[in-house]
Amino acid sequence: MRARLLCLVVIGSSAILAAQQAPPALVTPQEIAEGLPKDGSRWITFGGSYTNQRHSPLTQITPANVKGLVPQWTFQTGTLGNFETTPLVRDNILYVTGPQNVAWALDARTGRQIWRYRRELPNDLTACCGLVNRGFAMLGDKLFMVTLDAHLLALDMRTGAIVWDATLEQYKNGYASTIAPIVVKDKVIVGAAGGEFGIRGFIDAYEAQTGKRAWRFYTIPGPGEPGNDTWAGDSWKTGGASVWVTGAYDPDLNLLYYGIGNPGPDYHSESRLGDNLYAASLVAVDADTGKLRWHYQFTPHDVHDWDSTEVPVLADLTIAGQPRKVVMFANRNGFYYTLDRTNGRIILAKPFVQTTWAREIGRDGRPVLEAGHTPDENGEITCPDITGGTNFWPPTFDPSTRTFFVNAREACMTFYSWKPDYKAGERFTGGAGQRYKSATMPVYGALRAIDPTTGERKWEFKYLNPSTSGLLTTASGLIFSGDNDGNVLALDSRKGTLLWRYQMGANLHGTSAITYMVDGRQHVLVPAGTTLTAWALPQ
Amino acid sequence: MTWRALGVVAGWVIIVGASTYAQAPAAKNPFEGDQNAIKSGMGLFRARCADCHGMDARGVRGPDITQVWASGRTDDGLFTTIKNGIAGTEMPAQPRLFEHETWQILAYLKTLAASARPDPQRGNAENGKKIYQANCVGCHRVNGVGGRLGPDLSRIGAARSREVLELRIRGGVEGFLPGYEPVTLTPQEGQAVIGVKKNEDLFSVQVMDTRERIQGYDKAMLKEMQNNPRSAMPPFGSNRISESDLDDLIRYLQTLRGFDPSVVQ
Repeated sequence: MRARLLCLVVIGSSAILAAQQAPPALVTPQEIAEGLPKDGSRWITFGGSYTNQRHSPLTQITPANVKGLVPQWTFQTGTLGNFETTPLVRDNILYVTGPQNVAWALDARTGRQIWRYRRELPNDLTACCGLVNRGFAMLGDKLFMVTLDAHLLALDMRTGAIVWDATLEQYKNGYASTIAPIVVKDKVIVGAAGGEFGIRGFIDAYEAQTGKRAWRFYTIPGPGEPGNDTWAGDSWKTGGASVWVTGAYDPDLNLLYYGIGNPGPDYHSESRLGDNLYAASLVAVDADTGKLRWHYQFTPHDVHDWDSTEVPVLADLTIAGQPRKVVMFANRNGFYYTLDRTNGRIILAKPFVQTTWAREIGRDGRPVLEAGHTPDENGEITCPDITGGTNFWPPTFDPSTRTFFVNAREACMTFYSWKPDYKAGERFTGGAGQRYKSATMPVYGALRAIDPTTGERKWEFKYLNPSTSGLLTTASGLIFSGDNDGNVLALDSRKGTLLWRYQMGANLHGTSAITYMVDGRQHVLVPAGTTLTAWALPQ
Repeated sequence: MTWRALGVVAGWVIIVGASTYAQAPAAKNPFEGDQNAIKSGMGLFRARCADCHGMDARGVRGPDITQVWASGRTDDGLFTTIKNGIAGTEMPAQPRLFEHETWQILAYLKTLAASARPDPQRGNAENGKKIYQANCVGCHRVNGVGGRLGPDLSRIGAARSREVLELRIRGGVEGFLPGYEPVTLTPQEGQAVIGVKKNEDLFSVQVMDTRERIQGYDKAMLKEMQNNPRSAMPPFGSNRISESDLDDLIRYLQTLRGFDPSVVQ
């Protein structure tokens, strides 16, 4: 009896081992470029793939069986602050960054910690909006993580020990970093936060092996460079244009696509007359040199704090009978855009929430403005509000149905502004906002499915309150989301019908669920508040 | 973002909470009379304070703060109140407000400052208490005694101006505080549940009913859930409370400045 049992155990273990061949020890650029594999064995870059589609090929969990999901384990951070991270997974190990620059390697089978890293942070940080981090990148045997005091770290994947530590900029001058890096070939791409602190933003590339800076692209052109004249006087020096949300990459064009933050001071128009390039824009930058290939400015001379730091999503679509390489972008300013990613030209732009500041986007790509939407001390009411029609929480794209999904916000605000004085390291916004609500300007949220070839809405699922959750779709026709009341949700991605929900007690905020296979079972991992919870169908 | 925290600014005049401000603020506002600072302060005040204190600072959900200097408050005391908030009240701390921004708000408020109005002193608090007990105590609580369906009034005299109290009692103010939205739940079978909403998401609602039972309900199990746009508090017109009795009632409410629940052995 004992011998037979032993035999079964040995056979069972071999079967598991056979099904899960250990991957090569070192993560290769090729592996990253392949995106999400059909066997579900990894999720090793921010958006699942360079396209940022967040669309998994996995089909074990379906609209028919998703109701049967059961929790496998829950991990608690034991730190103050909430997750905004996209966890990475490879070879059954999760690599997770948390608030306050704490990070972990966890056993994906059990949620048990393998190592923990914690950075000693100064107590005079200038990070504007929470001590958060949005995730790791990986290459070789290293993980890459930015820090709130504006450094980029390389950690040893096996131990969490520091390999190198590169300084992006001096945090005392208002710089911080919260972005999830991406690795392109042998370089780590990051950006600087601090748009509310009078910084001059940039995108940086560092050699993954050494931490040496390879190039820097300033998101505000310097004197003599094209675009510098879009900033009156010296306003370019403190114009913000931060980079705190991860971009996309097209290997064929060798272009990086990054959304750029708001111009600063955020609300005070007269402090920085002009279009304020490349604030509130999408830039396409050569991945080897950091040279600008093209830009498209969504909101010229933004005065509502509408960073264009939403996640750009790449796809190849047929539009009007023509194959097009596009970048899809739902902007904080309330418009959804499909752009030609080879040249930045606009293919279509339509509002996806109530917008009162612009009537439409003109043929020249510039918004056709409505009067009365420049804030002053007396206040002016504009839709969307400061947080915007959407924000940094990732959208998703299902290529099989050619549908772009976004968690949209319907909200308006009274914007105020006044002239601020710049002081290094201090907040430099020149205004503020007060939520405005009326019968014609209600506050709510909705998950919206948009046809990127027309900009038309296919369906929506309404929330009581605006959601700040990112999205994940699967090839089985599911979309995972969260509301602003602590529920994680699964819906039919073709119809918008709610199929499953669970009250997590904290919001899925600024990030999405991810999915992968462990021992032949599809797992859905949900970061919410201070917990990670893994779900799967019963064995 | 912290819109909610920024929006709920109330009751910052009367009590200076225990100071947790690291360094003592300057005794005198360095920006007083500075026109640029006043302009910035006006914007800051309107965006962060006016929701509760009103655009003219004469009080809405929070108290009238135009007479704070006339009532003897000092610049540094007010600075500390803005910075730290008042524990146990709706007045939140403002940890992200820079020192100069706090002074700018005060510089603007100083331009609205009024001399102390002669307190009307009308009304008899003792009689007011009787009127309160006859009409209000079923729903409101004072110093641990009374109903729970409506907001606790133990420090209402410190948190609301006379004008706002009068408007609220007479039914001239619409709306309700969070947690007091009236709701009627109609189950598939049995009697309707009438109460106030304590919380809600897409799938469930948590209610205190008129018998003060707190209970959660699955929306899928309800036939209907109806939100009432008007406050659960009925208007008390002059046919129910005369002008003279209203003076007495408000006089009594103005004596309610806070409840100390500590037990002295």
